[in-house]
Parts: sequence; C-alpha cells; structure tokens
Amino acid sequence: MSSESSKKRKPKVIRSDGAPAEGKRNRSDPEQEGKYYSEEAEVDLRDPGRDYELYKYTCQELQRLMAEIQDLKSRGGKDAAVEIEDRRILSCVHFMTLKKLNRLAHIRLKKGRDQTHEAKQKVDAYHLQLQNLLYEVMHLQKEITKCLEFKSKHEEIDLVSVEEFYQEAPPDISKAEITMGDPHQQTLARLDWELEQRKRLAEQYRESLSNKEKILKEIEVKKEYLSSLQPRLNSIMQASLPVQEYLFMPFDQAHKQYETARHLPPPLYVLFVQAKALFKPHEESQDDESDSDAEEEQTTKRRRPTLGVQLDDKRKEMLKRHPLSVMLDLKCKDDSVLHLTFYYLMNLNIMTVKARVTTATELITPISAGDLLSPDSVLSCLYPGDHGKKTPNPANQYQFDKVGILTLRDYVLDLGHPYLWVQKLGGLHFPKEQPQPTVIADHSLSSSHMETTMKLLKTRVQSRLALHKQFASLEHGIVPVTSDCHYLFPAKVVSRLVKWVTIAHEDYVELHFTKDIVEAGLAGDTNLYYMALVERGTAKLQAAVVLNPGYSSIPPIFQLCLNWKGEKTNSNDDNIRAMESEVNVCYKELCGPRPGHQLLTNQLQRLCVLLDVYLETEIHDDSVEGPKEFPQEKMCLRLFRGPSRMKPFKYNHPQGFFSHR
Amino acid sequence: MERAVPPTVPLGQMEVFQALQRLHMTIFSQCFSPCGKFLAAGNNYGQIAIFRYPGLCSPTPIGSAHDGPVYSMVSTDRHLFSAGDGEVKAWLWAEILKKGCKELWCRQPPYRTSLEVPEINALLLVPKENSLILAGGDCQLHTMDLETGTFTRALRGHTDYIHCLALRDRNPEVLSGGEDGTVRLWDLRMAKEVQTIEVYKHEECSRPHNGRWIGCLATDSDWMVCGGGPALTLWHLRSSTPTTIFPMWAPQKHVTFYQDLILSAGQGPCVNQWQLSGELKAQVPGSSPGLLSLSLNQQPAAPECKVLTAAGNSCRVDVFTNLGYRAFSLSF
Repeated sequence: MSSESSKKRKPKVIRSDGAPAEGKRNRSDPEQEGKYYSEEAEVDLRDPGRDYELYKYTCQELQRLMAEIQDLKSRGGKDAAVEIEDRRILSCVHFMTLKKLNRLAHIRLKKGRDQTHEAKQKVDAYHLQLQNLLYEVMHLQKEITKCLEFKSKHEEIDLVSVEEFYQEAPPDISKAEITMGDPHQQTLARLDWELEQRKRLAEQYRESLSNKEKILKEIEVKKEYLSSLQPRLNSIMQASLPVQEYLFMPFDQAHKQYETARHLPPPLYVLFVQAKALFKPHEESQDDESDSDAEEEQTTKRRRPTLGVQLDDKRKEMLKRHPLSVMLDLKCKDDSVLHLTFYYLMNLNIMTVKARVTTATELITPISAGDLLSPDSVLSCLYPGDHGKKTPNPANQYQFDKVGILTLRDYVLDLGHPYLWVQKLGGLHFPKEQPQPTVIADHSLSSSHMETTMKLLKTRVQSRLALHKQFASLEHGIVPVTSDCHYLFPAKVVSRLVKWVTIAHEDYVELHFTKDIVEAGLAGDTNLYYMALVERGTAKLQAAVVLNPGYSSIPPIFQLCLNWKGEKTNSNDDNIRAMESEVNVCYKELCGPRPGHQLLTNQLQRLCVLLDVYLETEIHDDSVEGPKEFPQEKMCLRLFRGPSRMKPFKYNHPQGFFSHR
Repeated sequence: MERAVPPTVPLGQMEVFQALQRLHMTIFSQCFSPCGKFLAAGNNYGQIAIFRYPGLCSPTPIGSAHDGPVYSMVSTDRHLFSAGDGEVKAWLWAEILKKGCKELWCRQPPYRTSLEVPEINALLLVPKENSLILAGGDCQLHTMDLETGTFTRALRGHTDYIHCLALRDRNPEVLSGGEDGTVRLWDLRMAKEVQTIEVYKHEECSRPHNGRWIGCLATDSDWMVCGGGPALTLWHLRSSTPTTIFPMWAPQKHVTFYQDLILSAGQGPCVNQWQLSGELKAQVPGSSPGLLSLSLNQQPAAPECKVLTAAGNSCRVDVFTNLGYRAFSLSF
C-alpha cells in the first residue's frame, strides 16, 4: 500500500507536468485507474464559477489575515506571536487553496487548450480531407473532360460513308445486326473494313510499282537498240547520196532545206517558197538556201554582236534580227553571181537585204567605178524612188521615237536595206492610207512581184558590170564602142575623151550649167554623178553626167559647157542646147542592141562627134587673122537651118553625111 | 502656169523622159486666134498647143501636128496656118479644140532640091491678094493662093535660106531677110526683086563675129528695122540707109513695131523696148534663157486680152499684160 500511496503521491507530483505524465500513467498503470486521486476528474466536477468565487474569497481572507498580521506585528505583543502563528497557519491554508485553485485553473486551461487543440485538429483533418477530396474531384473532372475530349486517331481516318460501308463491306465485317444499333461497334467495323481495303490497295500498289520497273527496263533496252540503229540509217543515207546525184534527185539537200525552212519567220518563209516556186524549172540559174545557226536558234535571247558598241541595249533589242536568213544566189549569163541575203527584223516587222556581186574573174575596180558595185548602192532604186534608206513600215516611227532612233539610215550598213521590193517579195504590204496594226505575209503579193523583181535584179547586175568594164576603159580616155554600134558614128572622130571622174552630188549641184536639171528634180541624191572632159585642139567641152541607178532603162543626162572662144552653155548658145538634146532626148537610138548597156558609151561617142561638127561648122570670122582652127571635114548638106540656126548634128548612116533633124 | 516645182514622186523611165523633153523644148512660133481668147504655140517636137487665155488650165495639145518643128504660124479669120519641115498645114479655129482634130489640108510648095526637104521659116499673109507667102530653106519665096491652094509664084534671089518676112502695106511689097545677110524687097505684082540691102556691108551695124545673117524683120512702110548677126538697126527704106543703131550686143531673133516703140527679143531672157531714137526704154525679163518669138494680141474682138507673149528656148510662154513686167507663164 505504501507503494501505492507513494505512487499516489508520485502521480500528484507527476500530474503537474500535464499530459505526458498522464499518458505515461495511462500506459504504466492501466489497472489502477480508479484507485488514485485524479485532479483532472475533479476539474470536471467543480464549477469554474464557484472556483472563481472561492478564489476571490481566499484572496480576501489572505488580505485580511495579512492585514491582521501586520497589525499584530506593528502592535507587537506577546500574544501576538501565537496569533500571528494562527493567522500564519490560516494563511498557509489559504495559500494552499490558492495553489489548488491555481492548479485547477491551469488544469482547466490545459484541458481547454487540449480540447481546442483536438477540435482544431479534427477540423484540420476534415479540412485536409475536404481539400483532398476537392482536389481529387477536380482531378477527376479534368480526367473526365480529357476523356470526353479525347479524339481517337480513328476519327482522322477518312472512312467511307456509312451507306457505302454497308453496301461494300462483306457481312462478316459489317455485322449489320450488331453495328446498326451500336455506334461503337459500327465504328470498329468501319475501321476494320478500312484497314482491309488499305491493305488490299497497298498490295496493288506494290504490284504496279514492280510492273513499272519492269517496263522501264524494257524501254531502256529498246532505246539502246534504236540508238544503235540511228548511225546505221545515217550510213545508209550517206551511201545513197551518190545514187541521188546520179539520178539528179537531190532529195536529201532539199529535205534538209525544207526542215530548216520551217523555222523561218513568215515573211522569209513566203520569200523562200515563192523563190523556190519561181526557179523550179530553171534549177541552174539560182541557188537558194536558208542559212541558219542552230545554236543561235536555241538561245534566241542573245544576238550576234554586230552593231556598234555605242548603241543602247534598247536599240539593239528593237533592231534585233531573226537568226535565220535566206540566201539567194542569182547567176547571170556571164557567170557573175548576185548574192542576196534576206533578213527579218522581228520587232519592226520588216525585211532587209544585203547584196554582194561576185564575178567569174577578178575585177580590177577603176577609181570612178567605186560605187557601181558597192553593196550599199548596187540595188538602190531598183524600182523608181526605192532608195532603201527609210523603213517602209509607218508603225516603226513610233517605235523609233521610244528608243531615240532617228532614222534607219544610220543602221542600214549593218542591218541591210529595207527596200520596198524586199517587203513585197516577203508578202508584206504596208498601205500608207490605212496603217494596219499587224501586217502578215501574203503569198499572192510575193508571187506577183517575184518574177519582175528577179528580172530587174539580173538586169541591174549586168548593167552595172557592163558599166564597170566601160569605166575602166573610159578612165584611159578610150570610149569603148562595140562593133554593132559602129554604124551610129562616122568613121573618123577627132575629139577625144581626156578625163572621166566621179563627182559628188553637192559638187554637181554647185555647177553653174546644171541648174535646169536640178530644178527639174532629176538630180536627187540617189544618183551617181560624173564629169567627162572632151577636147579637140583648144576647145574643151565639159560634160556633167547624171547616172540614174535605173540605168540603162533610164538614160544618163548630160549637161554641157564648152570653153572655146568664150564659155558657151545651153543658156547662151542654142547649139549647145541642141547637142544636149541630141544626147539626152534622142537617146533611144543610142541604146544599141538589147539590153542596151552601151547607152553611156554611145552617148559619149556621140558627144565627141557633136563637138567635131560644132567646131568644124563654125563660121570663120573674117576679121580675125589666120586660118580656121578646125577645117571642115564632115560632109554636111547645109550648115545652118531654121530660125535658131542649128548645126547639122544628125549623122546619117551609111551615106555618112550630117543633116538636121 | 508658173514654173514647175521639182516633182516629189519617184521618177520612172516615162517621167524622166518627159522631163527631159520639156527641158529641151523650144517654142518657135505663136499665134493668137481671131477671137483673141486662144493662143496657139508650136514647138520643136512638132506639137501645137492651144492655150486658153487667161490660161489657168492646161493647154490642149495637138500631138503630132507636124513631123518636124513648127517654125511659123499665122492666122486668118477662120484658119490657122502652121508650117515647119517643108509643108504647110491649115487648121480650122472652130475645130481646133476638139479632140483628134485633123488639119484641113497639107501642102508642099514645089521644091527644087530633093536631097533634103527644106524647112519653112516664115509665113506671111497678104490679105489684099488673099494669098500666103512661104519662105525658108530653099531660098525662095513661094506664094500660095488661099482660094485655089495653088502655088502661084516662086521668087528667087536669096543665096542662102530665108529667115523672116515682112509685108509693106502701101505698095504690096514683101521684105525678106536671110542667112546671106541681105534684106530684099519684092514687088508682088511684078514678081521680082526691087531692092536689096546688104546689111553686113554697112560698118555701123555689122558685127562679123556674130555672122551676117538677118534673123528678124519688121517694117512700117517707110521704115524697117532688122537685126540678127548685125546689130539691130532702123533703116530708112527709100534711101537704104541705117538711121538708128540699137546698142544690143545679143543677136535679136524677133522684132516688131508697137505703138511708138520697137520691141525686140533674142538671145537673153529679156524683151527689149526701144525708143525710135535708139534708147533702151525698158528691159523686161522673161522666164526662158532665150526668146525666139513675140506675139501681140491686138485682135479687136477681145480688147481685154491685149497682151504680149514671148516664147523661146523653154517650154513656157511668158505673158506680159502690161509691158512693164511678166504677169505669168503658160506651160506646155
């Protein structure tokens, strides 16, 4: 029991520690619960209000006792000690009560705290639970939404429509009875079907690929075969060439030509076709090729660099030539050849031509004949007025204004001359009255002009060559008169040609005795001008000659100035005028045999004869001493005739005398 | 028509030939119509053109009227006579403007020589006798009766061909001037030469460097003016003396009396107007470098067309409405 009582005391002491002791106590002595004094239980039993009253009473008592003690001590007496002692013991009891009360208060407090704490803990736990649950709810909600939003990959697959599916799919896949009601199953079934279809198609695809490979291989093999065939065929064609030549059927050549000709621009093509058509029956008189530069044709953006460096790019572009050209070689009877190269200017829609004359034998060019065969002027004015220095297409003027080209004249040396007959041969017609936006090449126009133009070209070349030869002789002072023209002149001609030179157009216009010709518009700048000097004794006759490019159908025109006993021209001497008339107006009888290339030389010879007649028939002035300078040797019926007292300038053949017209 | 502007069309063979022909054309003779409204001109190609005065339209040409040049023309009331290479043709004025007009008749005087057909340089009408006198290359004057058309006389005397004729009204005498340098007077009734003046033998007027030929004659009864190789001189016929020498160095081809002036033209582009005293009153330039004929339109029927026309070494006929200046030119 003592141990129990000590244990009772221990718990008392221990109990002031609070809960841990309680806890310990609870663990160590669970069976002794009801046997000791438990202050906690007492707390529950006592009323806190009463305790508070007690506390207040006790405090009062204490104060009273203390005050009594104080009193006793201050009064000091003997009984005081016992009274004090009594009061002291009472105070101690009161102190004990206070302590108990304090303890109780503390215990209550602790309890209260503990209770609060517990409750709080509970609340916290609930709170936590709540939060957990809320959190979980949220989580679950998120999951749910995720699940709801989940797009299964199967929805991305383009499935065939439901009706089609039911139509096409075999029943063991479609399982209509199950799938009709159940969308999930339906989708599954559809996916199944899709899968199967795709597998099938993939299989087909693989098969086709392998087929294709096979076929490609076959093609390769065949290509090789063919390419090996080509050289063999070529060699056969080569071998057949001699046969073709032997049989006079140059198919190969013609075929090649026609192949290239297909790439020609329309006007050149028209020209090519028409020229071929014209010359078909006379193969030997012409040679017609279309000249091409195959690489040029591929890269048509780039031009041959023939124009000068100072040209603008824009101008170059405007004046661009088509890379293909047609070359026409006209062979004349005396083996001289006129080489014509026809070009097409793409942007300007006109054709140009470059000409060159080659002869069978080498020509030594006399000084005065420089311009006769020059490429620049040999084809000038083939038709009257066609000088080829201006573009025939009126629309070109606007194009030129845009790029600052004044006239095509500056570029004709490089580009060739845009003669009107060239345009006509290419079938291009530019009507002046109604300028047309696009002019297309016309075959009928070309064919109607081809023959005449070719004839004119041949005549032109031949007349120029004839002049060339004549000039060589004229420069040496010999007037070459052919034997079939001898009848036009008397046997003896004393006046001689001493000089034959070219003069410039400006110089001709400046001469004082050529004013009539200039005013009549017969001395343009497309003509060639010459000065001849005929002399006999002291008499000098100057003759200024206008040679029209259309010689010999258009006659040369002579203007005379005689220096003998003064200067005589057509303005002050009627006979000089008559001499000019003899040579200029009566030229038809001087043409000689066709084609009339002897006209110029015959005119010059006649001039010499006329001078002879003039000088010899001049009346001798009796007042002047000395014999006549020119004794009369010509047989004349009458020396003068008519009101203007003309000399007998007309020569009569074969009688050989001179008479008047 | 004014002088032709140089043509802007390109010249083909035909155009060049025509231009050359025009350049070398010489108009030898002119003649006004009796009504005074038309002028006929003959050129060296044998063409006759009829110009309508005032000449604003192109002339009507009678293409090949003659084979050779038309050297002279005269006109009666109804007829136009033209003569050139050896023959004389007559045309009706009334018909002449119609297309394809043909000559009325064409006659040739009897010539002595047969080698060459001589030209007829001058025609002269003798109204009193109603005959036409022709003179030219065969050095004779032939008279043709206009009614019968026969050649009545042939007056010989000149030694070289005859250039010009003139009629002396009072006594029917004809003056002729020729290449031989003489002026001869012929009496028509007696058909012989009455007087001969050898102009070149007179020193005052002879100019040997020009020759001795007499190119032009005009007479005014007692007076005669002639020129050519020798200087232009006024002669007194009765005394056969030169009274006035006109100081013109260029040989004159045509001279005529007009009112109190003497008009002459020749080498050089001007028409010269002389006072009877020998002074040069005016020199009016024309458009041709040399003139061969002058014609005065003095037809009473058309007093408003009183003009002087001059033609020569070109294809133009100059018209002078007022003697002071050239009004305009007609062109072949």
